[in-house]
Amino acid sequence: MSPSVQNLSGLDRVIHEPARLMLVALLSAVESADFLYLLKESDLTKGNLSVHLSKLEEAGYVEVEKTFRGKMPHTEYCLTPKGRTAFDQYRKSLSSVLDGKGK
Amino acid sequence: MQTNVQLDSVVKRARGYWFMDGFTEIAAGIFFILLAGTLLLQGNVFQASNPEHVLSVVGIISLVKLFGFLVIVLALWWLKDHFTYPRTGFVRGNRLTTAQVLMLLRNVILFLLLPIFGLLVVSALLATIGGVLSSLPVWFPIGVGTIWAVLCILAGGWTGVARFRVLGILFLLAGIAVGIWQWTVGLSVLPVDIQPALNQPAVQEVINRSLNSLGLLVLISGLPLVLSGFVTFLRYRKANPAPYMEES
Repeated sequence: MSPSVQNLSGLDRVIHEPARLMLVALLSAVESADFLYLLKESDLTKGNLSVHLSKLEEAGYVEVEKTFRGKMPHTEYCLTPKGRTAFDQYRKSLSSVLDGKGK
Repeated sequence: MQTNVQLDSVVKRARGYWFMDGFTEIAAGIFFILLAGTLLLQGNVFQASNPEHVLSVVGIISLVKLFGFLVIVLALWWLKDHFTYPRTGFVRGNRLTTAQVLMLLRNVILFLLLPIFGLLVVSALLATIGGVLSSLPVWFPIGVGTIWAVLCILAGGWTGVARFRVLGILFLLAGIAVGIWQWTVGLSVLPVDIQPALNQPAVQEVINRSLNSLGLLVLISGLPLVLSGFVTFLRYRKANPAPYMEES
């Protein structure tokens, strides 16, 4: 087995799941976003989205901030530095695996 | 690599979220039209012989521009808050890191040096300051149109918003068209001894024509911005007719 293929087993499993990967990618491009934005962009159900966000929060990749916009409660999600590093690392690992396979 | 390409498109989509409702383009277009109005007015006001009158009108125009800009920014903020965020959610843009700010600053400086370089090239070709100044109504709109086009096309690449590239090409074409039009009208013949005063008719004519050609370029550029923004807004409203409601 080539080293590049062996890298596959080293991929971050928290991020590797497609729905969570999409959420991390969305959050990587912004400072923070609310639940509705993530719901609309990811096309997940509310329950699914909550579960995936909880898992990312448990892993320390996502931080939740509860504020008020006017009188309405407002929840924003943002990637933590750990989450950003993990996402960058994931992309690099994936690229190296796919590049290695192509050679 | 396919996965990374898809990730890139997700990231670009998030970057371009600010423009998905069309409000920014409509606001920018309205500001452009307002600016065109003031530029065209300024171009004509400069024909007045009384310098005090000119200065007072220019002052009022500057106030109108500042006030108009503030009103448009506030309106944009209000529209986002009451129309877009309840439909498709709220996003806070990424803060720039120090390294990114420095890189941006370097690019802006390089970018600002481009017109100076262009001016030097034109000077070398035309040999005299008078020649450079008399051809100002031709190369000024072409230069401004080119700068806007580059900025717009770069923004299109950064955000993945394809219509920005089309708008960029339109800005470039508009700049070239206004420049060609001024060329066909003919260049002014300036006196050898140019004085920095308003009462030299040939210099005054060059200033008027430059302001008018810039005003025309801004007007031509503002109209497609409003149109593009309006079409984008209609599409957005069709896709998101009502604010998001919790399912019971």
